[in-house]
Amino acid sequence: MSAAQIRFATLWRRECNRFMKIKKQTIGAPMLETFLYITVFGAALGSRIKHLHGIDYILFVIPGLIMMAFSTNAFSNNSSSILQQKFQGAIQDQLSSPASPVELLLAFSLGGFMRGLAVATLTFIVSVILVGLPVEHVLVLIPSLFLVGFFFSQLGVLIGVRAEQFDDVAFAQTFVLQPLIFLGGVFYSAALLPQPFETLTRFDPIFYMINLVRYGFVGFTEVSIPLSLLALTAATTALFLFNLRLFSRGYRLRA
Amino acid sequence: MKALHIDNLQKRYPTGVEALRGVSIDIEPGAIYGLLGPNGAGKSTLIHCTTGLAQPTGGSIEVFGHDAIDNYAEARQAVGLAPQEPNLDWFLTAEETLDYHAGYFGMPKRERRERARELLETFSLTEKRDERTRTLSGGMKRRLILARAIMHRPRLLILDEPTAGVDVELRLELWHYVQKINQEGTTILLTTHYLEEAEQLCDRIAFIAEGQIVAEGTSDELAARFDVPNLEDAYLALVGRKELSRSHIELTADEVEA
Repeated sequence: MSAAQIRFATLWRRECNRFMKIKKQTIGAPMLETFLYITVFGAALGSRIKHLHGIDYILFVIPGLIMMAFSTNAFSNNSSSILQQKFQGAIQDQLSSPASPVELLLAFSLGGFMRGLAVATLTFIVSVILVGLPVEHVLVLIPSLFLVGFFFSQLGVLIGVRAEQFDDVAFAQTFVLQPLIFLGGVFYSAALLPQPFETLTRFDPIFYMINLVRYGFVGFTEVSIPLSLLALTAATTALFLFNLRLFSRGYRLRA
Repeated sequence: MKALHIDNLQKRYPTGVEALRGVSIDIEPGAIYGLLGPNGAGKSTLIHCTTGLAQPTGGSIEVFGHDAIDNYAEARQAVGLAPQEPNLDWFLTAEETLDYHAGYFGMPKRERRERARELLETFSLTEKRDERTRTLSGGMKRRLILARAIMHRPRLLILDEPTAGVDVELRLELWHYVQKINQEGTTILLTTHYLEEAEQLCDRIAFIAEGQIVAEGTSDELAARFDVPNLEDAYLALVGRKELSRSHIELTADEVEA
């Protein structure tokens, strides 16, 4: 391995090691939360609703839950990791190394991505075993999940870099991210909503992400798959480039 | 080639504060160079600019001939930093702290492991290798920070007030390490508030005040320049507090007795 490869692998390993050291909190708690959702919305509500658009309600809900688990874990890992390291001053060790802005950004991003991927994968495996969750369009599912994970990793990095106190991260997660996810149609179909809520839902970017993932798993969508994939790719790329600019300028990282 | 060549370095913070106003310094390879000055004089800012933790607004920095601002990779590879404030990651153990640091500098795994063991032994931290850094005592944290700074074998070691707030025993221990590292060929830039520390360790010393180097030389040269008997009095002359000179106080006490 070259020195640059060792450096990047170490930066990445450090981010993964961080969440693995507190895996009860970073893996265990999100898993429990996801299964509580499955229990409440799948078993309890599912016994009343039965089907949505011809799909078992539990199967309709689980893709959204997997997407939600991936996104919230990717986001919260990166935002809290960066803020915590800024708070402790420990981030100076990485910042004063020969690592380039793109190496630092990718390493911080991939930490959250890996945590989100771990929780999403475990949820998927258990869902396959318990309710036989299918995978209808793997070629849509894999890039969609990759883009969703990377988008929220980038968002976590952005909030972590901007944040000056833990309240800033909590605010973004509680008052922006969670409402957008919940109102994006994780638990229901937008077609069931009365106006103007159905139209409003279409202004929520997460609605398109959920539909991409849902289409990948169960083959149902309320949006155009190619357009959604294109828009998500563009948004993720734009966010990555924006973060790269912040890292290159040292915004709130270097004095 | 100089170990550190700083030319006309300027740093203005977004708040408008001018922390560095045209600082120029040359440090010869193998030297221990002291940077003295009151709080807020610009010592830490100068160090942060050299290590990439702050972005200069003007001037240039070269470490062993490598640009430290724009094409910084080679320059940063050559620098080790022990900062003023303990900045250890609470989640890491003592050994992981050293291992990750060396990894950031591209050191292969086997070499990292051997070097970490060697330094943990040197700094009497072997028994604490698996303990998380937050459980270490203040003195252990200081030693670990110094070990981390030299983990990747830097040619220039920057120590920002390494003995601030430590007890006498640890201070002497750290002096011993610093001299040993220097004898092994590492150039050292040291900032301190302890004048006897600078006098004891440094080959050359610069006084910095209000973001400018106001005097530079050996301890004796600085004393001669301010026309005083020692470095401490030279420093007091610099900061405009000559009345605090020990010789002045002793004289006053003698006058009272007479």
